[in-house]
Amino acid sequence: MSANLRAERRARLAGAMAAEGLDVLLVAGNPWRSDYLRYAADLAPIEGHVFALVEREGRTQVVAEHPAEAKRFQAEQPELRVSWSTSPIEEVEAALRSFSRKRVALAPAVAVPYRLATGPLAASLASATAMLDKLMLRKSPAEIDALRRAAALADEGYAVFREAARVGRPEYALVAEVEAFFRSRGCPENFQILGSGGREVRGMHPPTERRLAPGDLVTTELTPCVEGYYAQICRTLVLGEPSEAQRRAFAVYDEALAAGISAVRPGATAGDVARAQNEVFRREGLGEYVTSEYTRVRGHGLGLYVDGRPAVLEDVGLALEPEMTLVVHPNTYHPEAGYFVHGDTVRVTADGCEVLSRTPRRLFSVPAG
Amino acid sequence: MRRGLIGWSRDEVPAAVLEGRVARLQERMRAARLGAVLIYTSFARPSAVAWLTHFVPYWNEGLLVMLPSGPPVLLAAFSKRMQGWIRSVSHVGEVQSVAQLGATAAKLLEERVPGPASVAVIELDALPWPVAEPLAKALGPRLVDATALFASIRQPADDTEIGLAQRAADIALKALASVPPGADRSSQVLAAVERSARLDGAEEVLPRLAPDLAAGTALRRMEGDLALGERHAVELSIAYKGAWARVARCFASNPPSSWSRASSWTSDWATRVTVASADPPPGNIAFWSLEACVGTQPFSVLASAIGPRGSVAAGTLGCFSIQLQLADGPWLGGGTVVVGGEHPGRLLA
Repeated sequence: MSANLRAERRARLAGAMAAEGLDVLLVAGNPWRSDYLRYAADLAPIEGHVFALVEREGRTQVVAEHPAEAKRFQAEQPELRVSWSTSPIEEVEAALRSFSRKRVALAPAVAVPYRLATGPLAASLASATAMLDKLMLRKSPAEIDALRRAAALADEGYAVFREAARVGRPEYALVAEVEAFFRSRGCPENFQILGSGGREVRGMHPPTERRLAPGDLVTTELTPCVEGYYAQICRTLVLGEPSEAQRRAFAVYDEALAAGISAVRPGATAGDVARAQNEVFRREGLGEYVTSEYTRVRGHGLGLYVDGRPAVLEDVGLALEPEMTLVVHPNTYHPEAGYFVHGDTVRVTADGCEVLSRTPRRLFSVPAG
Repeated sequence: MRRGLIGWSRDEVPAAVLEGRVARLQERMRAARLGAVLIYTSFARPSAVAWLTHFVPYWNEGLLVMLPSGPPVLLAAFSKRMQGWIRSVSHVGEVQSVAQLGATAAKLLEERVPGPASVAVIELDALPWPVAEPLAKALGPRLVDATALFASIRQPADDTEIGLAQRAADIALKALASVPPGADRSSQVLAAVERSARLDGAEEVLPRLAPDLAAGTALRRMEGDLALGERHAVELSIAYKGAWARVARCFASNPPSSWSRASSWTSDWATRVTVASADPPPGNIAFWSLEACVGTQPFSVLASAIGPRGSVAAGTLGCFSIQLQLADGPWLGGGTVVVGGEHPGRLLA
C-alpha cells in the first residue's frame, strides 16, 4: 500500500472535514464496499465488518470483526489503534461515547449497518456520504497514476485471457489463468465476468463449467486494481473466423464506443455519453437493445470501487469534470450475434479525454482448431 | 471480490438436502410464530442464503424471504436477464429481479404476511441501511432479530456440507503443494495457489501470507510483491459450492524439527478441543481461535484465546487457527475440523 497515496488522501479528507466542521468521521466497510474505508483509512477488508473512527486531528481507531484482520491492519499501519470484537457494532458504539463532546458523522450510506444508522448519528449519514463521494470523484495525479497502471495491467490480463480461450476449455479455467496472472503481478483483486456461446447468450455471468466451442463469441470484462484503484477493459473474441453477422455486429459496437468516448469532456453529462452510444444503435435499428431489458449501463465511474459513480445512463445528469475516470462500454445484446462487449477506461482531461486502455479495438479471433 | 466456478451439482448438493434445511428453519419460525424471516446476501455475507438455496450473488446482493411454509422467495438486485443464471445455480421458488430490495420486500410482506406477526432478520443489526430503511419504516417494532434462531439450526453440519468442505480442504492442500520449490517471492506463491485452486473448481480463493516469520506473524493480504523470508506462512481459505475450508501452513527451506511436533500436537488438539486437553504444546500458545459458519458470514469466531468462550456443539464444522511460540521462533497452523463431542472430532485438513 502506498504511504504517499494514504497521506495525500488523509490530508484531503482532513480538509473536507474541517470545511464541514467535523471532528470525527466514522466510516463503515466490508469486503465488497471497502472503497470509502480505503479512502479514509487505507483499509481493505477481506472478512467481516470493519469500522474506522477517523479523527481530523488524531489517531484513527479501527474495529474489526476478525482477529486475523485486526492483526493485519495493525501490521500494515502501526500508527492505527486496532481492536477486534465479535460484536464490532457494539464496540463502535462504546467508542463513540468517548467522543460525546465532538462533532461526529457517519458514512457511507451503502455500507452502514442498521443499528448505527438508527442511532444518534443518523442525521449525518447523507452529508458525510456526499462529502466522501465528492472527494472520491475527481482523482489526484497519484490516483490517476495508479489507475493508469491498472489499465495497463488490464490490457496485459486481456492478452492472457485470449491465450487461455481455446476450444474445449471450461469458462472457469479462463478465469483461473487470468487470476493467476494478476497475482503474479501483485494484484490482489479483480472483478471479472464472462460469457460464451452464440445468439442465445444474453449477458455475462460468473464462470460456469461450459466448455468453449468453435464459433463461440467469448466476452469478458476484466477489472484489476493497483493500490486499490480499478480499471476495466471489455472485449469480445471469436473462436475461429468471425462470421459476417459477428463482423456486422462488431462494427456497431466499435462505432458506439468511439462515439461515447468522443462525448467525454468537461461539462458533458454522463447522460450525454450514454446518449452518444445509444444513438448509434438507434440509427442501426437496434434501439430496443439499449433499454434496460437488454443492458444495464453504458459505462460507469472507476476508482476505489469497480462500479462507481456516475452510472452512464441517459437520465444521469452528473456533469463530467477533469480527472474523473470512467469506463465507456456499449455492452448489450445483438439479435444476430448474441451478447457483445466492448469498452475502454478513460480519464476526463481539460478539453476531452485520454483513453487509458491500449488493447486494440478489434473483434479478436483465436484459433478454433 | 473474486469468484471462480459457480455451479450447482445436484449430485453433490441434492435438492432434498436444501429443502430439509429450509424445513428446519420453517419449523422454528412456526414455533416462534414469525410471519417471515429475511436473510440478506452479498459478496461479503453470502453464507446463510447459500446454505438454504445454493445461491451465491457473486457481485450483487439479494434478500431471501422465508415464509412459514412454501419455497423461499428470492429478491435479487440483478436485471431480469440474469434470472436464467440464478435458476441454474440455485434452488428457490419465486425469483424477482428488483432494484430496491428493502422496499420490494416490505411490499411483499404486506401482501403475504397476515396481521401483526413479527418479521425477523438474521443479523438485523448488520443489515445494510439501504435495505433496512424501508423495512424499518414499514414494520416498525414488528421488525425483530433472528440471529439466534438461525444459529440454533445452522450447526452441526450435515454430511453434504462436510463433504463439500472436505473437497474445499483438498483443493486448498493441493494448491499449497503446487507452489514451485524455491519460490522466493510472494507473487510466485499466490499465483500458484490461485491457479491450482481455481482450476480445481474453487468458487473463491482468499489467501493471506506472512512473508517473513522472523519479521512478524501477521498474515497479509499482499498488495504488490515481497521477497519471502527463509520461513514464511500461507493461510488459504477456499469456498467450494458454498462450503468453506481454511488451512494454514508454514514453509521453510530447512524446516526445524519443532515444526513437525507443532503440527502433530495441533492436529490432536484441534480434534479434542471439546473433549480433553491434549498433551502440553511444544511451546507457548500465543493465540488460537475457532471459527464456524453460524450466520451470513463464512466464518464467525466462536471461541478464542481471549474470548468468547462459548460452548461449541459437537459436529460443528469449523476452522481453527493457532500460533505457537516455539523455542526457535513462531509457528502458524490452521485447519478445518468437525468438532468432536464425547469422542474426538475429525480433521479435514
